[in-house]
Amino acid sequence: MTEKIISIRGLVNRFGTQTVHDQLDLEVRRDEILGVVGGSGSGKSVLLRSILGLHNPNAGSIEVLGQKIRYQKPGPHKDWGVLFQSGALLSGLTVQENVELPIALHSNMSLEIRRELAILKIFMTGLDMTAAGKYPSELSGGMRKRAGLARALALDPKILFLDEPTAGLDPIAATEFDELVSYLHDNLDLTIVMITHDVDTLFGICNRVAVLVNKSIIVDTLENIVANEDPWIQEYFGDPRAMRARKAMQDR
Amino acid sequence: MTEYLTASSKEGTLEINVQNDWLFNNIPDLTEALDRIMPDQERNVVFKCGGLQEFDLSSAWLLYDKSLEFEELGLDTEFQGFRAAHFKFLQHIIDAAAVNEYIPGFFDRKPDPYWQKAIEKLGENTIEAVESAGYIAHAVLDGVKRPSRLLIGETIRQIHDTGVAAIPIVATVCFLMGIVMAYQSALQLEQFGANIFMVDLVANSIFREIGVLLAAIMVAGRSGSAFAAALGTMKLNEEVDALRVMGLNPNQILIIPRVLGLVIALPLLTLFANAAGLAGGAFIGATVLDINWLMFTERLAYTIDVNDVLVGLSKAPVFAFLIAVTGTLRGMQVNSSAEELGRLTTVAVVQSIFLIIVADALFTIIYSRLGF
Repeated sequence: MTEKIISIRGLVNRFGTQTVHDQLDLEVRRDEILGVVGGSGSGKSVLLRSILGLHNPNAGSIEVLGQKIRYQKPGPHKDWGVLFQSGALLSGLTVQENVELPIALHSNMSLEIRRELAILKIFMTGLDMTAAGKYPSELSGGMRKRAGLARALALDPKILFLDEPTAGLDPIAATEFDELVSYLHDNLDLTIVMITHDVDTLFGICNRVAVLVNKSIIVDTLENIVANEDPWIQEYFGDPRAMRARKAMQDR
Repeated sequence: MTEYLTASSKEGTLEINVQNDWLFNNIPDLTEALDRIMPDQERNVVFKCGGLQEFDLSSAWLLYDKSLEFEELGLDTEFQGFRAAHFKFLQHIIDAAAVNEYIPGFFDRKPDPYWQKAIEKLGENTIEAVESAGYIAHAVLDGVKRPSRLLIGETIRQIHDTGVAAIPIVATVCFLMGIVMAYQSALQLEQFGANIFMVDLVANSIFREIGVLLAAIMVAGRSGSAFAAALGTMKLNEEVDALRVMGLNPNQILIIPRVLGLVIALPLLTLFANAAGLAGGAFIGATVLDINWLMFTERLAYTIDVNDVLVGLSKAPVFAFLIAVTGTLRGMQVNSSAEELGRLTTVAVVQSIFLIIVADALFTIIYSRLGF
């Protein structure tokens, strides 16, 4: 039996009279790459924020690595890394300092080792030393995401959360980013949960897909999801771009 | 004038010939032309595309809207010779609109009576005030509970940014204020030949009120707005969320150092403000009023005792607390948009200056009752 990294039971999220999640259950298994998709307003971000303890759900329980998540309370910070959509690097610190921050915070290692580890993570995400000394405002969108990823990986987490990692990147950069994520997954024993709209990412690197429809969630392998009869799923995967991406996956 | 429409009646059918450029820019003329058309006894209306040069979606909508109007009057309408694309797209939108239920009161909502609005606003503001008070208490207590290890470094940085960097401007303003007060009091005192009392007036008001008040107001404008804008931008950028998922408590590392830094910086800044104010008074005394430096200092030592200085200085930490807490918390309340950021930054400055003045009034009453 595979180990459950995240388990969500009976999650309910409401905004005013609008219910976004109604008794949602989700389990994330060890070592998988789970892609979360859904239409706009289906609550992808709210789901992620609930898991991270940044949003207070109306009901339900969330456990990450066996630890219960409570709103704005300390969680398994050393064991997860988060890449926010815009990178969310601290604007007052350089890339290097941004990556060092979580290390400095959660360990007592010497300054020298901390520097080296931060540089290692920065190199790992495909940035170089010139980028390390720059402030986030001096970086391009793609570099900012890489730097954000370096910070997310700073503590060698067990889980990586990615919020639309390839949104706003050109196709070449997006493909490179996918390859990077896939490479990291293969080499670092990572469980990855990513919100994505990019069908290439979905077919390219995700093991399982969670689709948010009708205030609930359908989780399955891609093949089974594509065969699902739900109209939104049919429309989403029936889209020409999705078809091409699927074909590309089958050809591999 | 360009003719956009020609109408002719024939065997109970109104034929409308559409011509020339039907474009977005011509819409005022087009609506006017369409309004002029009114069927008399005709039962059918035919829109014909004759001599139509250009046609865009907005004007297609106008024409379509007119046909709907005719249909509501019980007429049959027909389009002849138009390119199908425009109407197909319109039809798509109309179908989509029809699927959505009619929302009662969406277009014909009556505005609530003004008194109802006023009461609602009062209630909203009261709830907001109570909520902010709770939020402030929560954030400060939460931040103090487990001090962050970044606390000292951050606090020193804040002391520099809010205090040291503000010395030139605060000193200049207070120097000028000293000049103004010296002049104004001299004008009155001259009538009695009591020029020397200018020193009493200037020194007492600078030490007890003006020095600390001006310093606080300058800092509110300088740092209160900076706090709100910086924290608000961090909120919008998801930086605050990023801190939280890294296991840092934003209350601890963003709010507490700023509050602490300002509480330390403002009393020190007040000392500079007082000195600059006195210098302004002394400058005018020496250059205009025949009160030389020696006379000024002698009189100063006679009229001021340590109580007066302490009265002024004791207010500074309280003002600093009000400025820092208002600024940081308004910043943390930014959630969604740049507009909100601007609004809350303004609110932060206005509110902190307001609170400073209110607190100052309370201080003055209390101190005078206590006889300080």
